[in-house]
Amino acid sequence: MRTFSLALTALVFLVICGILIGLVLYPPLPSLAASLASSEIQFAIVLSLWTSAVSTGICIAIALPVSYALARYRFRGSRIVNLILTMPLALPPLVAGIALLLFFGTTPLGKALDALGFSVIFTPLGIIVAEVFVNLPYMIRILRSSFAMVNPRYEYVARTLGCTETGSFLQVTLPMSRPGILAGTAITWSKSMGEFGAVLLLAGATTMRTETLPIALYLNVSAGDLSQAVAAATILIVISLAALCVVEFFARDVNVF
Amino acid sequence: MLRLENIGIVLGTFSLRNVSLEIRDGEYFILLGPTGAGKTILLEMVAGIHQPDTGRIFLGDREITTLEPRERGVGVVYQDYMLFPHLTVAENIGFGLRQRRERPDVIRKAVDEMAGLLSIRDLLSRYPGTLSGGEQQRTALARALILKPRVLLLDEPLSALDARMREYMRTELARIRTITGTTIIHITHHFEDVFTLADRIAVMRDGEIVQTGAPSDVFQRPCDTFVAQFLGIGNLLRGMSRVEGDLARIAVPGGPELIAASRVSGEVVATLHAEDVILSRQPFPSSARNCLKGTIREIVSTGTTLRIVADVGFPLVSLLTRQSVEDLGLRCGDEVYLTFKASAVHVIPVHPD
Repeated sequence: MRTFSLALTALVFLVICGILIGLVLYPPLPSLAASLASSEIQFAIVLSLWTSAVSTGICIAIALPVSYALARYRFRGSRIVNLILTMPLALPPLVAGIALLLFFGTTPLGKALDALGFSVIFTPLGIIVAEVFVNLPYMIRILRSSFAMVNPRYEYVARTLGCTETGSFLQVTLPMSRPGILAGTAITWSKSMGEFGAVLLLAGATTMRTETLPIALYLNVSAGDLSQAVAAATILIVISLAALCVVEFFARDVNVF
Repeated sequence: MLRLENIGIVLGTFSLRNVSLEIRDGEYFILLGPTGAGKTILLEMVAGIHQPDTGRIFLGDREITTLEPRERGVGVVYQDYMLFPHLTVAENIGFGLRQRRERPDVIRKAVDEMAGLLSIRDLLSRYPGTLSGGEQQRTALARALILKPRVLLLDEPLSALDARMREYMRTELARIRTITGTTIIHITHHFEDVFTLADRIAVMRDGEIVQTGAPSDVFQRPCDTFVAQFLGIGNLLRGMSRVEGDLARIAVPGGPELIAASRVSGEVVATLHAEDVILSRQPFPSSARNCLKGTIREIVSTGTTLRIVADVGFPLVSLLTRQSVEDLGLRCGDEVYLTFKASAVHVIPVHPD
């Protein structure tokens, strides 16, 4: 059993490494460098970076109080609420994308928002909305489990020592949940960087307008420019690896799913 | 004085009913009771963590029923200490003063003083994760005491410590109490805590206070069989009591009559501490009213003492030191005499259920 399982582990490891390295080494290195420097890829990098940073920020801001409520309070229907809030997790991003598209494109509320200047269809704003919708459940789940791991008695003690309820959350529970918050941020950010389906449907795939890295990869493969596509893919690999390192380093014990 | 008036609360499937209690200033009050009796919830209601559904709480002449925990002047120490792991020992102790926005130099001086009182000065820059149980315990006490609380609440503060440390911390608690003069409510499972620390105790069961009093009163005169059993009183004997003058003669089925200093008649439970039963080879000449002949059925070691069960018609338990069992050369099957005073037998009337 020992020899077999170790051998299989080694094999899987080698296959994954081989496939990823093969991808990065597919174009000659100088042409990969040229693609990375091209204005289209540069645009995609910048667009991906800022939209995912903003959407991750929004996810944190919403998930902190929501996850706390789910971890601490029992209320009527709290199990249903828990389930629905994390449902987009199990939803294919394409389904999320078309639901968002129909909501913003056809409902009176969506049209009203559009009239107020909050137009999301085929715009960079749409990228952010799609990323938040798809990734918020991850953030909520991660934060909920890290808040649940903090014994509420820490807060009780803090409150007898002079804290308000909010104060005890900010000064005790929040710092104690730091590993979970860092892991949640890394995962949400890297997933936002790589989000494709929902972004494609809501924000479209317009070159140099809503062209994030995954969209760039898709457009260039469609157009037959493999070198550009690999450039986008390479950056996405680096980002995944970095996020994984952050999670491994800060949050070994954080329960992600 | 801390006064609870008819406190009641429902939390999920648990409920606490009609708890009334008066604890005097500076008193060391111990709460006893099996797990799930509601001791911690009662403590947390005094701290203001849970709001009672009914009843009122007063501290001095001020009603504190609906006050926030931070407005009550109450300190809490839990069994697992709940030290903030992201703060150093000094920051933990100074936490309360920082909430009051005291000046840093004032905080530093007070923390140093409090750390000196609890002999943890050399730990101030460490993090709680690196401390032993006893050190964490003293840090948690320092953190609560630095605000000079009027009432200090201790939820099984010694249970996580090993026997020697527990002994030491017990004397520490007694010393802290003398120095600060603060009122202390202490939840425990250990009877040693009761005898070394408590001025008064209360026994809880299923969300109610069953009996309150000085430790010696409660141990000698448990108000019902639950309390007697919970306090580990060795002998609980059911029988019929007949009063003659100042004494009750209790007929226990299968054996001889017991004589008790009591005027309770009818169906009763007689309680008798195993420690109060003297065991001898020959009838023991004394003023004790009860001297029963029996046969040893069982000798069980319980650490420093031996528990001896003798059959006198019904089983009667006696506690002896290892030394006296050896001196007497006791074995199973030996005939012995069991002697105890009438005043050692406490009689509880049995209420028809």
